[in-house]
Amino acid sequence: MVYEKPLPQPNADDKFFWDGCKEHKLLFQKCLSCGLVRWPPSIICPYCHSNDTDVIEAAGKGKIYTYAVYHQAYHPGFESEIPYVTAVIELAEGPHFLSNITGCEPDELECDMPVEVVWEDANKEFSLPKFQPIQ
Amino acid sequence: MNLKDRYAIVGLGYTLQGRVPDRTALSFHVEAISDAIKDAGLEKGDIDGLICYRHFPSLGGEPDVTPYLVAQQVGLAPKAMSQEANCARSQLINALGWLEAGLCNYVVISYAHNPLSGGRFFGNRIENYNKAVFGQFGATSGYAMAARRAMHTFNTGPETWKHIAVGQRKWANLNPIAMMHNRTMTFEDYYNSRWVVEPLRLFDNCLVTDGGRACVVTSVERARDLRHPVVAVMGIGQHNPSVEIEHATNMSGPTGAKLSGEIAFAMAGITLDDIDACEIYDCFTYTVEVTLQDYGFFKPGEGGDWFKDGTIEPGGRMPINTSGGQLSEAYYMGLTQLTEATMQLMGRCGERQLGPKTNTRTPEIILCSDNGGILQTHSTTILRRL
Repeated sequence: MVYEKPLPQPNADDKFFWDGCKEHKLLFQKCLSCGLVRWPPSIICPYCHSNDTDVIEAAGKGKIYTYAVYHQAYHPGFESEIPYVTAVIELAEGPHFLSNITGCEPDELECDMPVEVVWEDANKEFSLPKFQPIQ
Repeated sequence: MNLKDRYAIVGLGYTLQGRVPDRTALSFHVEAISDAIKDAGLEKGDIDGLICYRHFPSLGGEPDVTPYLVAQQVGLAPKAMSQEANCARSQLINALGWLEAGLCNYVVISYAHNPLSGGRFFGNRIENYNKAVFGQFGATSGYAMAARRAMHTFNTGPETWKHIAVGQRKWANLNPIAMMHNRTMTFEDYYNSRWVVEPLRLFDNCLVTDGGRACVVTSVERARDLRHPVVAVMGIGQHNPSVEIEHATNMSGPTGAKLSGEIAFAMAGITLDDIDACEIYDCFTYTVEVTLQDYGFFKPGEGGDWFKDGTIEPGGRMPINTSGGQLSEAYYMGLTQLTEATMQLMGRCGERQLGPKTNTRTPEIILCSDNGGILQTHSTTILRRL
């Protein structure tokens, strides 16, 4: 089946992240100076300006900071999924990560609901981290 | 040096607006600027500064609306010229800077677009693949996320926002050029409007407008020699939190409105009690609520009580968005607000004129806001009639 939604276009800053997703790993940069785990990626820490950086694997757990329920499609690839949910996940490690909520009706959602990562293999090249409520 | 009461808006440019087919975006810029110059009683040769709001990508094979093309078609060769690209709302601050530096004597600011007839579907362009892969598009979704977080953080939601949509519509019903002039709105109509991106309904969204708007800014000294009552910038401020909504933690406040407002009020040397009316950037109903909340009109979650019983409507104790605003008059980014405030202070608003005609205070001081990105930039302007 052809994947009809947009796919990632990795760039020099975020290639490591999408490479990690292919192995079902959520990788983020962590500042070795102040400890901030950051997303989106950057060559320096926006908090302390250190470029001393490690890459850590996040556990894939967090809570819904906020979410939006789309009742119209802005891209034809999403038309069949309406109403679908985009959400900002506040990961346990700190970063706010935009994703989708799956396995739950939109009217069952609320902010601060605990969620965990589930992987969707879009094709051979890309896997997308999505989130579902923790039962 | 304190800029209080030293610069003034002296001319306003309007065009046909609404659904206006067979017109380029460029033509609306040119018409609005030409109208503003005429309204000020100036000649095009007087204008030596030009600031254009951002241009959206052109439609239907039209050229992009660069400030070069605008200047060429208006017949200007400005000493200073700029166009911002991503909705940072520094236009008026920049104009004041050029005037204060002595680089310019008269600066014109314009915005125009033709998205309604041109068939623009806002939000369908991929600007960030790390958002698009998850289906995150457009401004409505970003503000929906902010509004949802606010519903969780403090007591707000459609019960509050309906007062904003309906209240502004009542002003539009008094404004013959408002796109929604002939269409009333009840609370029931509000609730019956379709979801766009929940929790925002269609009637929480601003309009899409063909048309243009412009204003001319100069010193108060020069303004005194021109034809209209002098409407001065009493205070101005800006703050740019900048963080994208997907990473922001201030979407339920304090937004940029708080610091921006504090700077503007400090310059003006006044308090909220001195404000007679507000023209608040209203890309969405929630934006109006959080802006007024961050300015200090009410505490978080008390908006529902503050708005009810017609507070912002004709006859209300704090008139807001008296042209109908961007929800019900027309969308010109921050110029919808600045031009309406200036028209009100000049006393040129006909049936919707603040004062005895609408059973409101005759305005001496009006508070304006502008906001860009998804709550990423905020400007505050306090105007008064000298």
